[in-house]
Amino acid sequence: MADLQDELHTTGGLDAVPDLFEDEPRAPVSDPDGTQLERARAILTAHPVADGYSGLPWALRHLHWYDLELGESSVDTDVPRLRAGHVGALFWSLHLPEGIVRDRAVGATLEQLDLVKSVVGAHPDGLRLVCTAGQATDARHCGRIAVLLGPAQAAALDDSLGVLRALHSLGLRVLTLSGVSWAGETGLTRFGEEVVREMNRLGVLADLSGASTDTVARVLAVSRAPVLFTRSAARALRPHPANLPDDLLAGLGAAKGLCMVPLTPEQTGPSVRAVADHLDHVREVAGPECVGLSGTFDAGTAHPQDLADASRYPHLIAELLHRGWTESHIALLTWGNVQRVLRGADFTARAAQQRRRPSTANIADLDG
Amino acid sequence: MTSLEEARSLLREFPVVDGHNDLPWALRKTGYDLDARDIAQHQNAHLHTDIPRLREGGVGAQYWSVYVRSDLPDAVPATLEQIDCVRQLLARHPADLAPALTAADMERARQDGRIASLMGAEGGHSINCSLGTLRGLYELGVRYMTLTHNDNNPWADSATDEPNVGGLSAFGREVVREMNRLGMLVDLSHVAATTMRDALDATSAPVIFSHSSARAVCDHPRNIPDDVLERLPGNGGVAMVTFVPKFVLQAAVDWTAAADENLRAHGFHHLDTSEEAMKLHRAFEERTPRPVATVATVADHLDHMREVAGVDHLGIGGDYDGTAFTPDGLGDVSGYPNLIAELLDRGWSKADLAKVTWQNSVRVLGAAEDVARELQATRPVSNATIESLDGREG
Repeated sequence: MADLQDELHTTGGLDAVPDLFEDEPRAPVSDPDGTQLERARAILTAHPVADGYSGLPWALRHLHWYDLELGESSVDTDVPRLRAGHVGALFWSLHLPEGIVRDRAVGATLEQLDLVKSVVGAHPDGLRLVCTAGQATDARHCGRIAVLLGPAQAAALDDSLGVLRALHSLGLRVLTLSGVSWAGETGLTRFGEEVVREMNRLGVLADLSGASTDTVARVLAVSRAPVLFTRSAARALRPHPANLPDDLLAGLGAAKGLCMVPLTPEQTGPSVRAVADHLDHVREVAGPECVGLSGTFDAGTAHPQDLADASRYPHLIAELLHRGWTESHIALLTWGNVQRVLRGADFTARAAQQRRRPSTANIADLDG
Repeated sequence: MTSLEEARSLLREFPVVDGHNDLPWALRKTGYDLDARDIAQHQNAHLHTDIPRLREGGVGAQYWSVYVRSDLPDAVPATLEQIDCVRQLLARHPADLAPALTAADMERARQDGRIASLMGAEGGHSINCSLGTLRGLYELGVRYMTLTHNDNNPWADSATDEPNVGGLSAFGREVVREMNRLGMLVDLSHVAATTMRDALDATSAPVIFSHSSARAVCDHPRNIPDDVLERLPGNGGVAMVTFVPKFVLQAAVDWTAAADENLRAHGFHHLDTSEEAMKLHRAFEERTPRPVATVATVADHLDHMREVAGVDHLGIGGDYDGTAFTPDGLGDVSGYPNLIAELLDRGWSKADLAKVTWQNSVRVLGAAEDVARELQATRPVSNATIESLDGREG
């Protein structure tokens, strides 16, 4: 993981210099005497949710009449509910239904990107497309909800680094490494490793939710940038295949990756408290810098009671306050950790671009 | 001053906008080994194109073709790889190649003394019947799309295939309208004459022929019939004359038909450029000397096209690195001054030549941008599908 240093290590003499990278206020933002829900809203106002997975693009694909600005009952996500839920940023999944392969996967991903851009373009007061941590913060300062592009499936590359670079230049920032010959059950092939290195060079984050154990281990070893699990909870609490065992959570903590806990009964359980149990566990095993939230709305799954749509985040945060989470840990959970990971990806990319040319490797040469 | 010196001096002020160059395809055949084929150095042994010769040829803007084969299934990813190749070339040679997306970018590059670099996709197969994919290509920088290559696609007939939809289908017309809305030029090289006419009926922006010559001068389906050339003044478009001998010289047309037949008789595709196919080709050439086109052959086309379409509707599209043979005097991208000198000798005025080399081609892109701005105010993004408009699978 990142042995390149992202932060200034100031010596004693520079302690008086204000930390320019610290954009969060340090004083408590919530009234300690308020109700948990009031405190949750106050904290979320300062540290909104960066949600790791929204299935909205595919859900909107065949919906002919909708208006996310005014509210849309046929989906779980719209601007009024995102605002009520204090969501400040969302990763919009470009995942495709199973069965779209090869040439169709690339074309269908281009269509997904096009759809996202036209949806965001049609809601300029609510949504803004962003590619970096800084742009996400800018969007928030302008009162817009930041939309990040990804994750897309590995199949969207059609085994080509040229396609990866084209998708990156169209805005793609997260790629799920599973379901392809070079990132399958047996782990990363040589070409798979080259894909990860090229992703690092570009600043595309690896999403390992659903990846095989061997792939996860190899990506953690190869990647210089932090990795994401966009939809993974704790396997110690719920034995779902996409959930992470404790040793992996500990490894993720050491690598300063990010486990984004989904709000789905299959993975986290049927209630707010069940979700909070997972967040407690991941925080404990991986660390407070390595836990995040993943609404997983509009992705075809059910949701826990009281967390039925994007407006319900304050209830979850209230539960965490009830359990004694500090404001600073909540701030990391909702916004800070995603910011750090995005910055890490950008930093790694800038460093790698000094050293590496665009890779011309192809799968036939490396994997035979 | 000799006419060649005069041509060079004219090109310094109004350099060539070339409509079609297949360098990316030539590089793709090397696995995109941009070190082995470093275009900052002379690549005479391997390529028609490199930066020193583009400079020598007075090229000021180039549409790099992101062509991929139309007979293979992977057209969309392959096109993205071609686009990636062009972007890598631009990143490697920033002092010589200026990324350009607009007419204003082209003018800026000319003022900077850099070669404005644009992209054109060669064939509707590159969008796999998807307007979302078309918009993706536009966003990646593609500024024209040839509606077909050598094969028909489900919505447009090619000049070199059997008639299928009889020009453009309903979806094909929608592709043209969406290209208009985006500001992507409609390129009518390679398409059937029926498609040319349908596209001219459907388009609200000027069209281009990125590399086509006059059918009245040399009767080959890749060339433009006079009735279509006559429509260019009304449309505002530009026909960019190509140099490919087998399209511009009747004797070469006939010779090529025989050479293709020879390849097919040995079990090769007639466009195969593998070592073995080329060997057969060379043997054929030894038995049957290849008729040679010259600068004058190309100038004959321009003379005719000027008469029919008018000087405001002419341009140049060499098709370098996309053709095995070239005319004498136009052997590579350094040859354009010879063509300009020939036209000067034929009495073309400098003002007219400035239109042919630079002004007309810059004008059409700017006009396409203007049309796009207007359409975007009135026309929504089109998500039409071929199923909905043509009633069948793409």
